[in-house]
Amino acid sequence: MDRAALKLKLKELLVTGLRLQDVDPADIADDQPIFVEGLGLDSIDALELVVLIEEHFGVAVPDEEVGKQAFASIDALAAFVSAEQARSG
Amino acid sequence: MTRVVVTGVGTVNPLARSAPAFAEALRAGSCAIAPLTVFDTTGFRSRIGAEVPDATPPATLPGPLRRRISRADVFALRAAIEALADADLGRTVAPERLGIVLGGTTGGMLRAEACLRERMTGARRRYRHSALVATPVSASADLLATVLGLAGPRLTLSTACSSSANALGVALDWIRLGYADAVVAGGTESLCATVFAGFNSLHALSRTPCRPFDRRRDGLSLGEGAAIVVLESAERAARRGARSHAEVRAYGTSADAHHLTAPHPDGAGAVLAMRRALAQARLEPEDVDYINAHGTGTPLNDAVESVAITAVFGAAARRLAVSSTKAAVGHTLGAAGAIEAVATIVALRDGFVPSTVTLEEPDEACGLDLVRGQGRPARLRWALSNSYGFGGNNTTLVLGRA
Repeated sequence: MDRAALKLKLKELLVTGLRLQDVDPADIADDQPIFVEGLGLDSIDALELVVLIEEHFGVAVPDEEVGKQAFASIDALAAFVSAEQARSG
Repeated sequence: MTRVVVTGVGTVNPLARSAPAFAEALRAGSCAIAPLTVFDTTGFRSRIGAEVPDATPPATLPGPLRRRISRADVFALRAAIEALADADLGRTVAPERLGIVLGGTTGGMLRAEACLRERMTGARRRYRHSALVATPVSASADLLATVLGLAGPRLTLSTACSSSANALGVALDWIRLGYADAVVAGGTESLCATVFAGFNSLHALSRTPCRPFDRRRDGLSLGEGAAIVVLESAERAARRGARSHAEVRAYGTSADAHHLTAPHPDGAGAVLAMRRALAQARLEPEDVDYINAHGTGTPLNDAVESVAITAVFGAAARRLAVSSTKAAVGHTLGAAGAIEAVATIVALRDGFVPSTVTLEEPDEACGLDLVRGQGRPARLRWALSNSYGFGGNNTTLVLGRA
C-alpha cells in the first residue's frame, strides 16, 4: 500500500474505530497532533488505538515509549506501520 | 433537628427534559409509555416501556468523555447541571464541602451489551476499552464529581428500586452530621436488554402501559431517566437567600428478609419503613396528606403496599391521597426513588396531587383514595414517597412543603 493510501486508511480507522462522530477523515491533517490538542484523544483512546492497529495491520505497539512516538500524528503513525510491516514481512 | 431543604431540582425522564417541564407534564396527565426503540424487543412478551427521547450529552463536555459516557451518565449529568444551576450555589460552598450520592442499578449495561454483541457476532475480535469504562454503576457519580467539581463525600448506592430514595436519605444524614454543606443527590438509570429480559422472564412486564392500583393491572412498564436534587440546611439556604422547593424531613429504611422478588405478604418491611420514617420525622399518620406510592402495577406489589398503608395509617388511610407516577414514566428502577421524590416535591410546592394517569377502574380491595384522571389541586403539608426494591429493600421518604 502506498503511503497516501495508508494515511487515508489510518484516518478512517481513527474516525470509525474510535467513533469520532463529528470528524471527517479528510479533515485530519497529516501532521496534526492526535492526542490532547489536535484531535483531542486521551489515554483510553490510546489503549484502543493499540488494539485497532494490531487488528488491522498486524503491528504491535510494545510499550508506551514506542506508542508516544508512533501516535504523534498520522505522518508518524504511517511511518511506524510501514516500517514494522517491512521489518516483519 | 436540622431542617434540610431542596434548593435545586433537575430531571431528564421520559416525560420531560427539565424539572419545570416535568411539573407541567404531571399536571397535564401525560403518559410516556410506548413501543421501545433503544434495543431490539423481538421475541419478548412485552415490547413497551418509557424511553427518554433524546440522550445527547451536554455540548460542553470534552470530546473523549462525550463519546464514552453511558446513557445513564448523560441523564445524570444533564439533571445535575440543571439542579446546580437552579440551586445557584455560586461560591457559597467550597468544592470539598459539596458531596454527591447517587443511586442506580445497571450503570452502562446498555453499552456493554452492544460491546459483547460485537464480540460474539465476530464484528470485532477484541473488546473495545472505551465501551466498557462507563459500565460500573459507580461511574455516574465519578463523572459528575469530576465534571462538576464536587470534591466532598461521594457514594453510589445500589439497593435495587429503592437506590435513589436511599441516596436522598443519606444526603439528608450528611447535612445533619455536618459531613457536607450541600449535597447533590439523586439517581440515574438507562434501559437495557438484560434487565428487560429479566423482568420479561419473570412475567412482571405488562403488554399494555402499566395500570397501578387498577383492578385489571397485570404488570409493570420499565422506564429510564434521572432526577437530581441539591440539599442544604434551611439555615444556610436562608442565609444566602436561596429559594426552597421543599423540605426533606426524614427517611425510614428496612428489609423484608423474606424473598428475592415477592414482597412480604403482610407488607411487614414496608410498614416498618413508613413507621421509621414517621418516627424520625416526629409526625403522626394524620399529618400526612399524600403518598407517592411505589405502585408498580404488578398484582402483588399494589395489594401488599395497600395493606401496609392501611396498617400504618388506620382510619387516616382513607383520607390521604395516593397515586403512582410510574403510570406516566414507567418504573425507572435505580432512578425511581429520585424521580418520584421530585414529583412529590413539585406537588408540595405547586399544590397539586399528580394522578395515576392510566388508572381507570380503581381496585376497591386497596381501600385507598386513589387519584386518577387529571390529578387534583390540594394544599399539601407532608407527603411520603415509597420505594420498594427486589430483595426486600424498603425506603420511605418524608417530604414537606418548604
